[in-house]
Amino acid sequence: MRREENMITILSDYTRQEAGERLEQKLRERKIETELIAIADLYVDPCYSCGGCTNKTYGQCIHRDDVDIILPKLMRTDVLVMVTPVKWGSYSFKMKRIFDKCAVIGDRHYYCKNGELVKGKIGRVHTFVAIGVKAQWDDEEKRAFKNLVEENIKIMNIRGRAYLADDSNLSDCLETVAEGLSK
Amino acid sequence: MKKAVIINLSPRKVGTSMMLANHCREFLLSRDYLVKITHLYPNLKDLSPLLAAINEAESIIMIGPCYINTYPADTVYLLEELEKNQNNLHGQCLYAVIQGGMPYVHTHESGLKMLELFAGENGLRYKGGFVIGMGAMLNGQPLSKLLNGKKAEKMFGHFLENVAKQENSPAVLYHEAQLKMPGLVYCIMAKIMNRKIEKERREKQGDQKKSPYENPGLDLRHNGKDRTIDCKR
Ligand SMILES: Cc1cc2nc3c(=O)[nH]c(=O)nc-3n(C[C@H](O)[C@H](O)[C@H](O)COP(=O)(O)O)c2cc1C
Repeated sequence: MRREENMITILSDYTRQEAGERLEQKLRERKIETELIAIADLYVDPCYSCGGCTNKTYGQCIHRDDVDIILPKLMRTDVLVMVTPVKWGSYSFKMKRIFDKCAVIGDRHYYCKNGELVKGKIGRVHTFVAIGVKAQWDDEEKRAFKNLVEENIKIMNIRGRAYLADDSNLSDCLETVAEGLSK
Repeated sequence: MKKAVIINLSPRKVGTSMMLANHCREFLLSRDYLVKITHLYPNLKDLSPLLAAINEAESIIMIGPCYINTYPADTVYLLEELEKNQNNLHGQCLYAVIQGGMPYVHTHESGLKMLELFAGENGLRYKGGFVIGMGAMLNGQPLSKLLNGKKAEKMFGHFLENVAKQENSPAVLYHEAQLKMPGLVYCIMAKIMNRKIEKERREKQGDQKKSPYENPGLDLRHNGKDRTIDCKR
């Protein structure tokens, strides 16, 4: 089991620069166990907040869609990397649909951290990395995306960070992420 | 008469977002507004009624829950569709309201920022927002039921006043409305809520502690529907 302790899963929405694919390759070159889930061809319905996952089908979404493919994989993941186009400082629509449904496998308990309530991990994920990809950023949107990811990390009570990639720095950015994850 | 449209960004029609939407509606009606509440989720297949309502309004108030620190995914979809159908946008005032389970402002505030950035790019006039914590506990009950109900109602009232006047609403209003308690109280709250969660889990799941998603024989046939999954994907 030890070998699996740093199992990395990359959830990647479509980016023109194929950022997710390139990151996967970089990690594999470093002999890190990595799985890429390209979400462009998957279909995930909205969370309707129906309460099924805390009732009739406890711990599971009552509705059948492609999260049935994604969530079992995330349950075996230690490090979750999201590669997402950024819209108005937030995740892409498709990525957010999946993220919303990750709440199903999120630890429902509350913890105290720095005097505030927080929640727990998604499955056993101990590190969350979000790579926001955008052709061009302005500073306000950079700050917005970074804040959002930092709040995600805070509420899940785990480690991680946000990376901001654009056309000019993508290669360096992916290199930095791969370097950081191989430590 | 001024026209306002309130958009319920929650999939639930009787939850806390809708309680706030109704509250907002009553307030604006008393200020001689013509007000319409529209729901996002029943319109997901065809947004045109919603786009038309937005087109007709001078003020748009988007009210929704916080899912993982910002609005639900489908809010992004609505914004993308609005961006594609620019003809419906003509400098309307946009106000944002977000509410979620956690009592803190910072954990929900990214939602407001998203709408602000959207407005900036699409020629809307973003006029501010409001954040409300403990929304899950409220579960559709009025604001007065919050531990800091009086304060929250008063501050939300000031926010609505600004909406009615089409004025900017400053963040200080919702910061004032945040419940402030010592860390120890939150730790005790966590213990109590966790006990409830564990009890519920035992009732529903029995001794089986594993997530159903860890089970290789995952039963994918709830809901009466069966979907074969193409494993090649
Ligand atoms: C998928 C999902 C994710 C959620 N994520 C958060 C969260 O990150 N922070 C939080 O405070 N509440 C979170 N909540 C709780 C809701 O924000 C809260 O229950 C809200 O009051 C629901 O609003 P509604 O009644 O209008 O639907 C989440 C709920 C769901 C269903």
